[in-house]
Amino acid sequence: MRTVRRYLTPAIALVSACLLPAAGAIEPPWPGPFVENERILMVLIPRTPEQMAAFYEARGFPPAAIERISRTCFVTVHIENRSQDVIWLQPRQWKLTDGRGEIRPLESDYWKAQWDAVDLPQASRSTFGWTQLPAVRDLQPDEPVGGNIVLPGTTRTFDLDARFQTGADRRGTLIDVRFRNIECPRSGSVQ
Amino acid sequence: MKPRFVSYTTCLLLVLLAARVHGDALPPGVMRIDGPPAPALRLDDLDGNAFDLADSRGHWVFVHFWASWCGPCRREMPGIAKMTGLLADSTIEFVLVNTAETEDAVFSFLGIVAPDLVPLLDSDGLVTEAWQPRGLPATFLVDPAGRLQYQALGGREWGQPAYLDFLRGLTTE
Repeated sequence: MRTVRRYLTPAIALVSACLLPAAGAIEPPWPGPFVENERILMVLIPRTPEQMAAFYEARGFPPAAIERISRTCFVTVHIENRSQDVIWLQPRQWKLTDGRGEIRPLESDYWKAQWDAVDLPQASRSTFGWTQLPAVRDLQPDEPVGGNIVLPGTTRTFDLDARFQTGADRRGTLIDVRFRNIECPRSGSVQ
Repeated sequence: MKPRFVSYTTCLLLVLLAARVHGDALPPGVMRIDGPPAPALRLDDLDGNAFDLADSRGHWVFVHFWASWCGPCRREMPGIAKMTGLLADSTIEFVLVNTAETEDAVFSFLGIVAPDLVPLLDSDGLVTEAWQPRGLPATFLVDPAGRLQYQALGGREWGQPAYLDFLRGLTTE
């Protein structure tokens, strides 16, 4: 039985913005909409432009890079494999839709062009890369993974349908996770 | 005790020890890998001293990649500091690699959490990328022949007995 709830408090959101979950477990209460069952935990943490600007500014990103980051919608994703089987993380196969149709996340090619345009130093490119959700990962039993997916800035709500193949040969029972009415927090919406 | 019984007992203990190190007794989140040669790791540490992993042949090396912005890395670091203290008399070499942060950022974090640890500085992040960790934090165990034998998945409680016993077991093979 899957449970989807919204649980986003401004205080938790601000604190969690300072420390991005990478490959490590996080603890409840989950700071955003989540799906939790006996096979998988998946938590979404939509970020405000101010949160992301603060995070990358503190890591020395220049204003031109911050300006490009602030145009977009960051959603931090945390996933834990709660099963005894391999779960395949492949965010390119997830389906993001809003009232107008499919939304294409901004992937590494997009960001490379942005960083080339502002001549972003290699260290910052590396940091940015490690804060993104991996493109592919064979999540082992008990393995967590975390990182951001980035969407073009939008004021519309969107849905996320995430499908996970399972098993070392990818032939196990599929896991489908659905989130509805996700919203990119607007500037100033978290005090 | 008869000599033959002692011999059987010794063999059994050796088999159990080997199984503990190589078999199902791996601590949670530690995975055996295929033993490819470890990528190059030549960096300066926070004090300006040069390090080259190639000079570490002959003993196990614990190689840990981290960054101070990463929540699990921060939570894991006190356990690593505890581990390095408890295993100070072992032959394992502990190598921490900070990924793409400034000296100030590294110092301001480690100075409080683990002041005795002196990490290598991968200032542009390219060495970390060459190692292809599954994320941050990431830990690899390099054997005395310079091959990757184990990796840890995400942050782990290295100061706990399961991990300490596992690491001690490596040096008693």
